[in-house]
Amino acid sequence: MAILEVHELKKKFDEDEVLKGISFNMEKGQTLSILGSSGSGKTTLLRCLNLLETPDEGTITVNGDLLFFANVKQLKEDELRKKRLHFGMVFQQFNLFPQYTALENVILAPKLVKKDMESAEILERGKVLLNKMGLSDRMDNYPHQLSGGQQQRVAIARALALNPDILCFDEPTSALDPELTGEVLKVIKELSEQNTTMIIVTHEIAFAREVSDEIIFMDQGVIAEQGPPSQVIDNPNNERTKQFLSNYLK
Amino acid sequence: MFTSVTISLLEGFLGTLKLFSLTLLFSLPLGLIISFGSMSKNAVVRVPIRFIIWVVRGTPLMLQLLIFFYGPGIFFGVNLWGAGDSGRFTAALVAFVFNYACYFSEIFRGGIQSIPKGQYEAAAVLGLTKSQTFFKIVLLQVVKRIVPPISNEVITLVKDTSLARVIAFYEIIWEGERFIKSAGIIWPLFYTGVFYLIFSGLLTLLFGYIEKRLDYFK
Ligand SMILES: Nc1ncnc2c1ncn2[C@@H]1O[C@H](COP(=O)(O)OP(=O)(O)O)[C@@H](O)[C@H]1O
Ligand SMILES: [Mg+2]
Repeated sequence: MAILEVHELKKKFDEDEVLKGISFNMEKGQTLSILGSSGSGKTTLLRCLNLLETPDEGTITVNGDLLFFANVKQLKEDELRKKRLHFGMVFQQFNLFPQYTALENVILAPKLVKKDMESAEILERGKVLLNKMGLSDRMDNYPHQLSGGQQQRVAIARALALNPDILCFDEPTSALDPELTGEVLKVIKELSEQNTTMIIVTHEIAFAREVSDEIIFMDQGVIAEQGPPSQVIDNPNNERTKQFLSNYLK
Repeated sequence: MFTSVTISLLEGFLGTLKLFSLTLLFSLPLGLIISFGSMSKNAVVRVPIRFIIWVVRGTPLMLQLLIFFYGPGIFFGVNLWGAGDSGRFTAALVAFVFNYACYFSEIFRGGIQSIPKGQYEAAAVLGLTKSQTFFKIVLLQVVKRIVPPISNEVITLVKDTSLARVIAFYEIIWEGERFIKSAGIIWPLFYTGVFYLIFSGLLTLLFGYIEKRLDYFK
């Protein structure tokens, strides 16, 4: 059974239809990358999955649980929060909490949200995650004492700490200096190899090709092409995909 | 002579201190409430509040003191403030609280609105409630940003309390000036300045300390 089913998802901002009926499925443990030129609706799609935006139409189903359908637009805050926890989110701008250390950033939400977990256990898990991100010597640093690449890795650990079903990345390396993208892509690749279920919006075509099980190419609010990297990246059918790839691969 | 002047001035300074501290006590929370009103999505709430803030910040405190003191009697024929010194104090306090709450509200609004949207979104995707987001994420960042402007206002307030003498509120300058008439000496008036300097100096140190304590994050 698919871990995520998105059906005919639509979203308008005023008169501007940004998502024009997006449908796709993904399997547990898969890495799905979303490519597409700027303004094609990639961020909006992730934000709809996280319910940071309320879609106008369509359904989102996670693990067979109907998370969203258009008739329940007025979700109660409580339900909304529970539903959001199916997804983790890593933002382009990291959005770490500046007044907390790396470790505190990671354990803050579990402490507040996971009432059933012991705080010693949460702390231990936080350390394990930061270790995994290669940040064992940075746990007590504040975000402003960390490089962009380190901050983004903390943000990844923070998202993982809540054990989301699906981890979403919105251009996780776009705000980084070129020499720092590698360290972030490396940990994402490791997560992919460990079969973390992930949706990655990225402009790193070579990276997407390497780690993805599936690629979606978005164009003007629709899925223009979808398939394994060997198809979408190496042998695209769609004219827009070809054009986009030729811009990026020179 | 010096001792007796010091004692009288201390008494006057007590009046200053009382007005100062009670103004802060009431205007800071009121300012926070007004700032929420001024950010309300509902125009019926927001527009009048912004208008009042504009009027209060755009006119002299001296004028507001006079209007608050004489207004109720002249317009409505009621003696709202009660008789004598305590009545004057109440009127002065109300005017000061109202005035400073409006100034503080603008500082709070600036502080709250300067928190990037990303902080709220990060908190939301981590499943935090609205109140957890405010108290655990937003509040301290706001505090850090507003300490310097609040510090300015508070030090201005120390000196502004002297304006209350316009409605014959008894404070330190009033006391110092008395010696010109009674003893023909002016140095007590200069001496009052020392009180202000020491007090605002202490406040500067206090706020400097708070700023330092919040220096650990950016
Ligand atoms: N909150 C919003 N209000 C109005 N328009 C928006 C909003 N968010 C995004 N858009 C518009 O939606 C379109 C798609 O944006 P986005 O999802 O950010 O694209 P991408 O991430 O692929 O670059 C853009 O034209 C953008 O201007
Ligand atoms: Mg985007």
